Order: sequence, then C-alpha cells, then structure tokens
Amino acid sequence: MKLNTKDLLSAGLLIGLAAIGLWLNMDHTMGSARRMGPGYMPWLSFAVMLGLGILVLGSGLFNGPDPIEKWTSAEIFSLIGGAVLGTAAGMLAAQAPGWASASWNPLGIGIFVGCMIPSIVKSWRPLFLISAAFALFGLMLEPVGLMAAIAAAVILSAFADETHTPKGVTGLVVFLCVLCWAVFIYELDIRVPVWPQF
Amino acid sequence: MDLISNLGHGFAVALTFNNILFCLIGCIIGTAIGVLPGIGPVATISLLLPITFGQPATTAIIMLAGIYYGAQYGGSTTAILLNLPGEVSSVVTTLEGYKMARNGRAGAALSVAALGSFFAGSVATIVVAASGPLLTQVALSFGPADYFSLMFLGLVISAVLAQGSVIKSIGMVALGVSLGMVGTDVQTGQQRFTFGIPELSDGVGFVSMAMGMFGIAEIVLNLERPESRNVMSGKVGSLMMTRAEFHRAIPSVLRGTLVGTMLGILPGGGAALSSFGSYMMERKLSKYRHEFGTGAIEGVAGPEAANNAASQTSFIPLLTLGIPANAVMALMVGALIIQGIQPGPRMVEAQPDLFWGLIASMWVGNLMLLVINLPMIGMWVKLLSVPYRYMYPAIMIFCAIGVYSLQNNVFDVYQTVFFGIFGYLCSKLRLEAAPMLIGFVLGPMMEEHLRRAMLLSRGDAMIFLQRPISATMLAIAAIALAAMLMPNIRKGKDSALAEGG
Repeated sequence: MKLNTKDLLSAGLLIGLAAIGLWLNMDHTMGSARRMGPGYMPWLSFAVMLGLGILVLGSGLFNGPDPIEKWTSAEIFSLIGGAVLGTAAGMLAAQAPGWASASWNPLGIGIFVGCMIPSIVKSWRPLFLISAAFALFGLMLEPVGLMAAIAAAVILSAFADETHTPKGVTGLVVFLCVLCWAVFIYELDIRVPVWPQF
Repeated sequence: MDLISNLGHGFAVALTFNNILFCLIGCIIGTAIGVLPGIGPVATISLLLPITFGQPATTAIIMLAGIYYGAQYGGSTTAILLNLPGEVSSVVTTLEGYKMARNGRAGAALSVAALGSFFAGSVATIVVAASGPLLTQVALSFGPADYFSLMFLGLVISAVLAQGSVIKSIGMVALGVSLGMVGTDVQTGQQRFTFGIPELSDGVGFVSMAMGMFGIAEIVLNLERPESRNVMSGKVGSLMMTRAEFHRAIPSVLRGTLVGTMLGILPGGGAALSSFGSYMMERKLSKYRHEFGTGAIEGVAGPEAANNAASQTSFIPLLTLGIPANAVMALMVGALIIQGIQPGPRMVEAQPDLFWGLIASMWVGNLMLLVINLPMIGMWVKLLSVPYRYMYPAIMIFCAIGVYSLQNNVFDVYQTVFFGIFGYLCSKLRLEAAPMLIGFVLGPMMEEHLRRAMLLSRGDAMIFLQRPISATMLAIAAIALAAMLMPNIRKGKDSALAEGG
C-alpha cells in the first residue's frame, strides 16, 4: 500500500466537515427543486464535498507515499493540553463575574490560553504564538486601548523568532505605535480606544 | 466614438487629485510587496480593505487594483537581481532574468521587464475598455441558469488551474461554497449554521477569512522556514538595452501581451498562469530558443508583459459579469459589496465613474510604475535588507487593527485567529486556499441564481442544458475536468507547475 497521509487527512477533514454540515442542515427545510428551501443549497454543497472527500480518500490510498512530518510526543501532548485547557479556560471565564465573561472575552481567553500552552514547545511557537498574540490584541484592545494592545501583541509575537533582540523589539513597538496612530487614528479616524481609560 | 469619450470621462475621474494620490499609494505598496517575498497581493489587499472603507468606492478600487498590478512590476525586480521571486507570477522570470544579471545585463533585464510591462499594460487597458461594454451587452442577455453555469465553470477552472490535486481543490471550492451558506438565508430569513451567534448572521467574515488564510498562515509558514536571503551581489549596471536586445525583445513582448490578455480573461486565470504560459510559448517559438537557460532576454520580456496584461484583463469578468476570476478579484468583489455596489453587468451603466475611472487609472498607474520602478530600483532593493523579524509583527498588527475596524467588534479578530490556524493546517495538507476563497464569494450568488433558474423552469434541471450559453459553459467545465483526469495531461500540468514553482 502506498498511503498518502496528507491526502488521507485532507479527506478526513473534508468528510468530517461535510458530515457535520449535513447533520446541522437537517434543521433546515429542503423544499423542492422548484421552490428551494434554506436547506437545499447547503445540502447540495455539503453532499458534493462529502463525495469529493470520499474520492480524495480513495486516491489517497494509492498515490502515496507522502508522509507528514513526524510529531514529537511533546508536540502532541502540548496540543491536546492546549485544547483541553483552552476550552476549560473559556468555560470558566464564561461563568466568572465581571470583565472575563463580558461580550466575547470568554472566547478570547479560551483562544489565548489554548494557544499559549502549545507554545511551550519550541516548534509550535510560530503558529501558536502568533495566534495567541492576535487573541491578546483582541482581549486588550477595548479595555486598555490600542497602544497597550500593540505593545503586548508585538512583544508576545517576538518570541516566535529567536533572532529578536530586546532593543529591536522596543524600537519596533515604538515604531508601530507611531505608525498605527498616524494611519489609523490621525488619518483614518477609526473608532477605537487609544489609551487606557480610567 | 463612444469609447474615446468614455475613456475621456474615465481620465477625468482618474486624474482628480485624490484618485491620483491613491493610485500612487496603491502602486507604491504594490511594488513594495512585489519586491518582498513572503507577502503577496492577496494578503495585502485583504489587509488594506478596511482602510479603504472611508474612501469612495472608485478611489478604493483604484488603489486596490494598483496593488495588484504594481506587485507584478515589483516581483520582477527581485527575481532578476536576486533569483528570488517576490511573487508567484515572477517565478519564471528568475529562470532567464537572474542569468542575465549574472551576465552583467541586470539593467537591461530590468528595463525590458518594466517597458514590456508598460506596453502590455497599455494594451490591456484598451482591451478592457473596448471589451467591457461589449461583454456587458452579452451579459445582459444571460439568464439565471447561464449565470449559474458560468460561475460553475469559473469554480471548476479555478480548481483545475490550482497547484496540486484537482479533486482536493474542488473539495476546497465546495468547502468555500458551504462556508458561504453560513448566515441569514436571503429568501426566508432563516438563520443557517450560525449557532445563535449574532455576528454570523451576516455570514462568515470575508476579510477575516482572507486575512487568516493568506495573511496569518503565511506569516507562520515564513517563520518556520529559515531565512535565506542572499545579500545583493553585483551591480545593476546600465539600464539601457542594446539595439540587438531591443529588437529581440519586441516579438516576445507582443506575444506575451497576447497570451496574458487572453489568459487573464479566463476564469481562474491571472498573472501567475499567464507568465508561465508565456514562458512556455517563448521557449517553443522564439528564434533564440537555443539561448534559453543562459539568459535570453525573451524569457524575461514575454512573461513580464504577460503577467501585467493578465493582472489587468482579469478585471474584465469582474467588471462585466460580476464574477471573480481569481482570489484577488474575489477580494475586489468583497470590497465592492462592502461599498454597497453589487458587481454585475449593470455596473457599467450604474457606475460609469467606477468603471471608466478604474480603466483609466490602470494606464495612469502603469505610467507611474515605470517611474517608480526604473530610476528608483536601488531603493526597492534596499527594502530587502529589512529582516523578516521586523516585518511580521507589523503585518500582524495591521491585520488585527484592520479586521477589528470592520465592525468595531473583537469577534472578527478571534475569527481571524481561527482561519489562520485553519489556513496553516490546509497548507500543511496541500489544500489550496485560493479556490476556497473564490467558492466562498461565489457560493451565495450561485444559490440565488440556482433558485431563480429552477423557479423559472418549474423545477426542471434540464434548463441548464437547454439554454445554449449555459450548456456551452457546462460542456467546457466537463471537458476541463475530464482533461485533468487524464494521466498524460495531468502529468504535463504537474511538471509545468513544478518547474514554475
């Protein structure tokens, strides 16, 4: 057997998403071909997706080998840990009083925690530190303002690249704060808190 | 002459101070990202979409278009000087261009790339201007069934021409269409797949998706790859071409312009495909084909003319039919819809300022690019000495602010994180993101046309085969699919794309 792991995983992704979609779509009325209900087109596109997923699965059994990079056990465990703890943190935050459960903060906290855990492992840092920095930006933007959010997100994301120096990062933060202020606040005048509000 | 008076109107629009300014900004940004590897037009345009909201629609589109064709100019610079394609579309330019630079003819290669691009851009401008109203007339006779089939064809071709497995790409198209179904159903008002999240009732965030899948995922992939930028070696030398080089380049530029113009109009086509097509053609047709591989000027002139022509003619399906031919055009649709303009055949009449202004601005932009690129080449090369570690936080922050400012809602920021991780996963599994984006944009339109077509035909699916236009589209789609399933042709495409990228 020449298994093409990448194709098999892709097939799994397509089939899985299509199955979920078809299941969710059971809530919507199909209607008839003449008078299509809200469920008709989604049904069609998910069915096509499912069919293609199966085709990819079939061809993936023979057109390999195309293995994916081996994951170390640290990578796997940190990923599972991140998923579990991230979900837990999100759910906890939703129950907590005050800021943590306001608007989308539980989601942001969940993503942030979920992305920080795998970042312990070095090889995950580019992906998850950037994602975590993004989530951190979202969390901080409204309560403490744009400048602090930029600084925090840039400093966190800087750990994704080992060649960064503290001096360089400081310069970058200052530069980006000035640039973003000039572009987004002075020039475009977007509605966003700039400084912390007390 | 209607054409001339219309173009005159277009220039009047394009030459207002504000539009010139934004055209210039677009061209400069386009050149910059063209020079820099690791950030492409799709990511940049999605990044800058939110910034353009404050501007009138015409100005916004003029600037975004400038980024796209500007990137084609900039991409050739690094390809020639450093053997480093700044864009996918300039991959083939490295083959001959870098050899020319090694032979001390870097200046000539840069000149021919810029002049060829300018010539091709001018021709393409006229083609867009002339064919736009013509095609619009044709498009107005399209029924819903024809539209559906046309979009179907566009999706199939975008998948067929994508890199890698065709089945997987079509799977991604289907995924995109399915994601496009999220939100309120237009006809019944029912919420679909929203999980009770009010933010999703308008659908999945288009900008979030584009930024996540192209911006964030791209940053991560670049960070994983160790940086390998060799510092500029050798001088640019004289920008003048010799008389012999000039004569050799002319036929190639003409052929490249032709190829690019045609392939740009094709759904799923665009700059990358046409520069590649032109290179293959030059290698077969050029009188100096034996020199290929040692720095033949034809191998620079043709593809560079082609990619610039294509980046402009790929606006034709968008402006006349409202159908995006590639991922960049899908973003343009997004930009237009956010501005409250429904792209389609009525745009020429309803938005003459936008239509003619954009066309005229293309020519103005090409002229600017010539100036921006040739005399100032040294400045652009210096841009490469900025290490990536300073660039990615900047890209990230711009993404974050941009996506937040769309609706002043942090939900969009989190959505972008989700698509970033998903985009990374997709690229690891070699699932193409571009077909998904096009599917996402076309999905809701297809649903609407499918519904209308079936209502008109009283539920008879044969309507798609009875209408000649629709039947032709479906036949072409079937042929394209069948061709890709044949082992010989598929191998040809794979090796072709492998050589290209």
